[in-house]
Amino acid sequence: MNIVNLNMTEGRSVPFVFEENVPVKMRSQAVSLFYDKVEALKEVTLSILANRITAIIGPSGCGKSSYLRLFNRMNDLIWNAKVKGQVFLDEEALYDPKIDVVELRKRVGMVFQKPNPFPMSVFDNVAYGPRLHGAKETGKLSEIVERCLRQAVLWEEVKDKLKGSAFALSGGQQQRLCIARVLAVDPEVILLDEPCSALDPASTMRIEDLMQELKKNYTLAIVTHNMQQAGRASDYTAYLLMGELIEFGPTKSIFTYPRDKRTEDYLTGRWG
Amino acid sequence: MHSQAIELTSMRESKPLRSRPKRDRERLVRIVLAIAGWMTVVILALIMIMLFVEGLPIFAVTNPFSFLFTSQWFPVSDPPVFGILSLIIGSLMITATALVIAIPLGIGAAAFLAEIAPPPLREAIKPVIELLSGIPSIVLGFVGFLLLAPAIQRIFNLDSGLNGLTAGILLAFMCLPTIVSISEDALSAVPREYKEASLALGATRWQTIYRVLIPAARPGIVASVMLGMGRAIGETMTVLMVSGGRLAIPSFITDPMSAMTARIAIEINNAVFGGLQYQALFAIGIVLFLITFSINLVADLVLEKQRRRYA
Amino acid sequence: MSRIVRIIALLVSVSLFLAACGTPTATSPTTGSTSPSLEGGAIVVKGSDTMVNLASAWAEDYMIERQNVRITVSGGGSGIGIAAFLNKTADICNNSRPLAQEELDKAKAAGLEPVSIVVAKDGVSVVVHPSNPIGELSMEQLAAIFGGKITNWKELGGADSEIVVLSRDNNSGTYTFFKEHIVQMKDKKAEYGLMVQFLPTSQGIADEVARNPKAIGYVGLGYLSDKQKALAVKTATGSAVLPSVATVLDNSYPVSRPLFCTTNGQPKGVIQDYLAWILSPKGQEIVRSLDFVPIQ
Repeated sequence: MNIVNLNMTEGRSVPFVFEENVPVKMRSQAVSLFYDKVEALKEVTLSILANRITAIIGPSGCGKSSYLRLFNRMNDLIWNAKVKGQVFLDEEALYDPKIDVVELRKRVGMVFQKPNPFPMSVFDNVAYGPRLHGAKETGKLSEIVERCLRQAVLWEEVKDKLKGSAFALSGGQQQRLCIARVLAVDPEVILLDEPCSALDPASTMRIEDLMQELKKNYTLAIVTHNMQQAGRASDYTAYLLMGELIEFGPTKSIFTYPRDKRTEDYLTGRWG
Repeated sequence: MHSQAIELTSMRESKPLRSRPKRDRERLVRIVLAIAGWMTVVILALIMIMLFVEGLPIFAVTNPFSFLFTSQWFPVSDPPVFGILSLIIGSLMITATALVIAIPLGIGAAAFLAEIAPPPLREAIKPVIELLSGIPSIVLGFVGFLLLAPAIQRIFNLDSGLNGLTAGILLAFMCLPTIVSISEDALSAVPREYKEASLALGATRWQTIYRVLIPAARPGIVASVMLGMGRAIGETMTVLMVSGGRLAIPSFITDPMSAMTARIAIEINNAVFGGLQYQALFAIGIVLFLITFSINLVADLVLEKQRRRYA
Repeated sequence: MSRIVRIIALLVSVSLFLAACGTPTATSPTTGSTSPSLEGGAIVVKGSDTMVNLASAWAEDYMIERQNVRITVSGGGSGIGIAAFLNKTADICNNSRPLAQEELDKAKAAGLEPVSIVVAKDGVSVVVHPSNPIGELSMEQLAAIFGGKITNWKELGGADSEIVVLSRDNNSGTYTFFKEHIVQMKDKKAEYGLMVQFLPTSQGIADEVARNPKAIGYVGLGYLSDKQKALAVKTATGSAVLPSVATVLDNSYPVSRPLFCTTNGQPKGVIQDYLAWILSPKGQEIVRSLDFVPIQ
């Protein structure tokens, strides 16, 4: 592992890879994002490694959520958003006009800040994705639902309430349900957009444990404003400030020896 | 104890906790609101009572069964005959046609505006649609009579272009603005998270709209349809002008037919006050009221059931 | 939500009903009939749609001559005019049919004494599409068509197609006139046929006949144009006669009727003056100019 990050100042070059034998799952190449004329991201170049948890931290409004949403093209929903630069998944350019966004989102799942189960039963929530993509037989659906709920460590708590409303669950349970719902689509990457900000500490811990489990099979990227969480749960950390990538590196080194003054100020709680 | 405490606070020149004028003002507001609320209830009750008092006596002359289930309507003959089955069927057929056309179109347009059109386009279109609801029904009726009726006659090769289908299409246009406008509000009010969650799971926009957004907005959409249907079933002028005015039981939607409202509108001015025809027209009003009321009640129960599941 | 929906439902259904029935009856009464004076005054005229253009033309010309008289004219149908007369909200009622027994009873109960005078005559012309080969029908044939006994033009010597029968609705004086005069000519219990379409206005009938080759309807002489073909009508004994001012006037055209102005008691004061003017050559010239038939 190399803790020196040589390439950060040179935006356009391929970002430095810290583990030679771990493939890059996703990366952005000098990507900028505009809302009308406002530049929300400024030439961000960053690699996200397969089967690792990458945390993106920074103060509110720094563009970290916008950055995460580049990878499943959720920014497409904002009608006046414009992307410049390149974003890759497995070295495939995501903003190529030929890209099928629906296929992309099957491969790159997302968990949101606020638990957002659909107004349906627990079962139907998890079965939503598989049904979209063609699964019909109840037997097969039940199998998928159970597997995903087990993976999300929720099965034992809800196995008797599968037909009940998802809204009857607690906040933490709802968020794990949302994770199960993403798993049911069988993605390769899971993006987590401040998944614990609406949860109590106990629920937060369960989600973090779950993330450690999931990284065996998935690539995870998490946006958080909670630095302890980034420190505890991630392998790599990127620090964004006003749309600019300030520093990126292995979490341990960023937290112990931040090289940039601004990172240090943020981490030590001097502001943000 | 208490008076002492109050004295103490007033000595410190802070505002006394029990502020008399403020409380009085609030009580006044409450009374005014209560009066306004009760007035509505009372007025509605009086209208209903009037409807029944004026209409029910007809059943001393015509038994309710033959009133509802025969179709001879000769109110000014001697003796008069009152059977409104053809009017009930006419109203239902025309309204059903209007809804079959207006519901998919209306919800589709609402979904387009709420989910697909970019905001500037939506801001431009929505007022126009709402403006459409202000077109007087007589104008639409006129357009229908002059343009739509001949077209329908030609397209379907009918004996007359003045028929239930023509009326239904026009009524669909009349209730569309209501359905579009309120459904769009309901769809826009669906939390953004549902939409994002669905899209992020790889749903297409269409799948998201019909699997998540429409179910989530169902109460508002149902309300919009109810209001639209209220306009359709209660509309008089348009129906009067283009439905053909035949008093036989229609066997198909392209037959000329009559609706209950049109009958009331055309005959009430002519009816001798308190006479049999007058009572019969009020009795039609009662039937109309009961039909609308039960449809709304059913819709209400369905919504209530759904809400209790996912609230 | 549910409560709102329920209240909306209630409001909608009730207000719609009221909207349907609460339209014109609430006209404000005038003092014309209670304090008549030759010097001036206001007259409210209401009634037959057939007569509304005629009555307006009369009122306009009369008011030019008599600047201090104000006459307001509205239509709606004979029944509406009679109802307004009975409510004492109209001074003069234009009726294209005599008052019915029920209406006479109501008048008596209200202390009114209706007096009707004939002010003009109307020929109801039976019209078909110009392409229709049929040029004349007998009264019996008309009765059979409008009574629903004959439903195909073939039976009358025309093309093999359904007859689309158009009538005024039952709020029209013409409806009653045509029913009593034609439909019930043989059988006093006969009614319009089940397949008859009732249209709310004479113009509607004229328009529909003008564009529908299968249609037959009836309208006042004033609604005739070259877009419709008026049929000659024959009685059992006479020969076929086309509707026209001359044939209505000499009573040779069988489907004609008198038009009335009805007042409370013998007309007095300004109303008497107005009615006398209507019957004068000036007033009758207006009748002629509007394609009605003057009585002299």
